[in-house]
Amino acid sequence: MDKKELQKYAHNLMFELSNEELEALEGDFDVLKAQLDLLNKVDTTNVEPMVYPFVLETTYLRPDEADHLLTQEEALANAPQVKQGHFVVPKVVK
Amino acid sequence: MNIQESKNLGGAAFKNSYEKAQKYNEKLNAIVTFVEDEGCQNQQGLLANVPVAVKDNFSTKGVKTTACSNILANYQPVFDATAIKKLKEAGAKIFAKASMDELAMGGTNLTANIGPCHNPYDLKRISGGSSGGSAVLVASGVTPLALGSDTGDSVRKPAAYCGIVGTKPSYGRISRYGVIPYASSLDHVAYFTGNVYDAALALEVLAGRDDLDMTSSYEPVLNYSQLLDYDFSKLSFGVIDNVIEAMSNQKIKETFLKLIHDLEAKGAKVKHIHFDNDLLKALFPTYFIIANAEASANHSNLDGVRFGVREKGDSMEEIMINSRTKGFSSFIKKRFVVGSYSLFEENQERLFRKAQKVRRLVCESFNESLKDVDVLIAPASGQVAPLIQNEEKQDELTDEYLICENYMVFANFAGLPSITLPMGFVDDLPVGVNLSAKAFDEVTMFRCAKALEDVTGLKDLVKEDF
Repeated sequence: MDKKELQKYAHNLMFELSNEELEALEGDFDVLKAQLDLLNKVDTTNVEPMVYPFVLETTYLRPDEADHLLTQEEALANAPQVKQGHFVVPKVVK
Repeated sequence: MNIQESKNLGGAAFKNSYEKAQKYNEKLNAIVTFVEDEGCQNQQGLLANVPVAVKDNFSTKGVKTTACSNILANYQPVFDATAIKKLKEAGAKIFAKASMDELAMGGTNLTANIGPCHNPYDLKRISGGSSGGSAVLVASGVTPLALGSDTGDSVRKPAAYCGIVGTKPSYGRISRYGVIPYASSLDHVAYFTGNVYDAALALEVLAGRDDLDMTSSYEPVLNYSQLLDYDFSKLSFGVIDNVIEAMSNQKIKETFLKLIHDLEAKGAKVKHIHFDNDLLKALFPTYFIIANAEASANHSNLDGVRFGVREKGDSMEEIMINSRTKGFSSFIKKRFVVGSYSLFEENQERLFRKAQKVRRLVCESFNESLKDVDVLIAPASGQVAPLIQNEEKQDELTDEYLICENYMVFANFAGLPSITLPMGFVDDLPVGVNLSAKAFDEVTMFRCAKALEDVTGLKDLVKEDF
């Protein structure tokens, strides 16, 4: 795993890694890869992936009525920048 | 102080906890935000006037909720998490938001943006994490009840290091609505108490179906605190032998084996179970892949645009990159990179899908073993709380690390109820034992835990002279 590849994963996640962070990660990946190899010691032929602990029906259909609404004030309460009831961000369409 | 003693103090309980917390926090560094007294909603409730601390990843209306991450340093939720709502409806009063590993992604509490949380038994040692602040506040006698969350062992491990009871009920038992997520298929609301009775009582308050959480269960909630009576001859414990075999600390091993001997002497049945060692060694990498992959997706909304700390940028993309680069610690970025790595197309089948398949085999294996015994039992850790300045990093490829320090995650994989309680002291530091039962059989888990507590006599342990 080289630094270029690690930076690719970081960019995919929308952040930058410093040189120091990249070097530390390079070292960590050696141990990590050895740990990941342990998965190959388990035979998973014909085993279905497991996504959640149980197969339990917990979803339901509720009446089509508005519920748990936030007011505009609440929705914007934590926004870093607000103007005339809107989130403010840099111009998107140039 | 247990819940009843706290209730007996009535309106004075809050002040008592609040003042104690302020005094102790200088040494413990367990609290992110102190919360003012909002009054008691229900004087007849099961938790009337009981002061409660909650991990800083529970949304609390109008009270800062940072998850100990810089990117959420200014975040004030506009609603209460369901667990918080239930606590308040039962008469409890929140007095503190407790420290945690950043975004709950750690097991030491060393990654909190406010600095390490200190263990009251030895301030040079960690509390354990990620719910370390909550654990420390119960262990130091500040509060009888504190909420945490448990994705791998984040309540059950700190409980062991701090000499208290840590309970993680079944997956879906307590609503996660309003809890900042880590890994959605593994996350559980969990909590700390001083004894098993209080743990059972707290579940009566916290459990129950919630339409706001799509994984919330319809299973009926029972009066757990009234169902603790047991008969030793009807209890059966399955010892996870792999954990004992991988453990090098002879004192912890002896403490555990004595406990097993005492249980047998009282008439309980004990069965030794040996799981496939390769399967147990695969627990940690399986967890690491699934948890980090889910976390990298869950936290894609932390971008400084609609909430959280925003860094400057000339475009949306720059704002997001700058906010996330500055807002996450190096530790978190590493975890996200691992998640992204396992989800990339070229690795997905080999890593992410493979981990999900191993997870199924783990669950089948542990569920099968629980057909023969009431609970599975093993020490909660192979070590006492490590030092904060740990010069020697543990070798992360040994059986000791992979099994002893990480096996409890099987209960997250399978959604099983699991509880840690004190089993003794080694070198003047508490050590814990863990029990796990069949899914939604909290009654049996609490009964076995109560029997164990009666055998050790260790309950309501408080360490205040630090």
